[in-house]
Amino acid sequence: MNSIHFDGVSVHVSVDGSDTAKTLLHDVSLELTERRIGVIGANGSGKSTLLRLLNGLVAPSEGRIVVHGDDTVANVRRIRRNVGFVFTDPLSQLVMPTGREDLELSLRRSIKNSKERAARAETVLARFGLLGLADQSIYELSGGERQLLALAAVLAVDPKVLVLDEPSTLLDLRNRELLRRTIAGLDQQVIMSTHDLDLAMDMNRVLVVESGRIVFDGDAEEGVARYRMLCAAALDELPTSSRKGDVPR
Amino acid sequence: MRGHGFLIANYVPGNSVIHRAPLLLKFLVVAACGAASFLVVDWAVSLVVFCIMCGLFLLSGAGLRRLAGAIRMVAPIVLVIGLFQWWQLGGPTAARIVLNILVCVVAASVLTATTPVQDLLDGVVSLAKPFRRFGADPERFALTIAVMLRSIPFIAGAFADVRDSARARGLERNPRALVLPVFITTVAYARQTGDALAARGLGEPEDPLEP
Repeated sequence: MNSIHFDGVSVHVSVDGSDTAKTLLHDVSLELTERRIGVIGANGSGKSTLLRLLNGLVAPSEGRIVVHGDDTVANVRRIRRNVGFVFTDPLSQLVMPTGREDLELSLRRSIKNSKERAARAETVLARFGLLGLADQSIYELSGGERQLLALAAVLAVDPKVLVLDEPSTLLDLRNRELLRRTIAGLDQQVIMSTHDLDLAMDMNRVLVVESGRIVFDGDAEEGVARYRMLCAAALDELPTSSRKGDVPR
Repeated sequence: MRGHGFLIANYVPGNSVIHRAPLLLKFLVVAACGAASFLVVDWAVSLVVFCIMCGLFLLSGAGLRRLAGAIRMVAPIVLVIGLFQWWQLGGPTAARIVLNILVCVVAASVLTATTPVQDLLDGVVSLAKPFRRFGADPERFALTIAVMLRSIPFIAGAFADVRDSARARGLERNPRALVLPVFITTVAYARQTGDALAARGLGEPEDPLEP
């Protein structure tokens, strides 16, 4: 039950409303049982599409996805309750003016009593060390604090699976480390796309996505090495004048 | 995205008479101010109501600075409306219309400055409950208010950012360089917000079969 199945999943989209279809993901079949799974790959490779399938934000054109026993299309309500999703930019995710209000908004569906809701929000804020920032405008917070707040708002409803779409992209080194530690301490199954290869190295399993296909699936160290090779090969294909340096370490 | 102003004041914690007043009463005052703007024909009456609303705002302890901030946000548009009405219908009518708009803004600010957002949303849900029989979901009413509270400052901030970008490129006098990026940013923001709400399961109708 506690696993995620991709069964022959493809995603096609029409280009500019025409009949021409572009394939974002090609025939993906996977079984994900590990607690920490990383998804790495170049921009536009299909990482976000793969993650959005898990929460039902994108429906597969072919195949099906089952997350902890629920089909992402047939049981989308339960999927949304069980699969938390954290976006790259927390500002697009935080709906309310302050952190406390946003957390309480997350809890509105599960806790009807406003006092209980406030108490639960207080507990979650305290757990993430955000109590001091709870009543500040989200625009007054740093990127790391916002991302932590977005994470807290998602975790407030206690999902079984946490999906993070490049959560560290907008963060500085200190906040990236804070996020890394926070994620490491979570009970949930975590699936995360990232360009941060140090973060990817923390994962139990890494998928490398290239042009909508899973080109590597296995150990984190090997996955990162494979991704570096792909980047190097892509750079080699560029005209000499476009190469500014080596593959980033 | 830079910090954002908002045309009505955010909640200011306190224990004033206004804070303790029943939410329904505050709702009714705001509704009455809105209705009065159609009924009141004398600018002097509008001025008295405006002074009363400002008095209530100050009584709440939210402060003169927040009051001025709320009025300053709508001042440019109110000024344009006022000048146009003065030209078209004369001074007394222009004064009445401008004061009525300000009454509504200050009344709404009294409500939001003295009521926590969650209480406000709970109040909206309670008010919307009778519409359930017509198939409406009261939680969606609340969510709409929440999204509105969030979207207006975002769009104001987007406009400020785009204006700065246009200035940096020497295009500050080009309306297309100002309007088009704000429009695109707003559409993108709407899509992102939709995705974020969907991902959090907010706004979906409740399933009576689920626990």
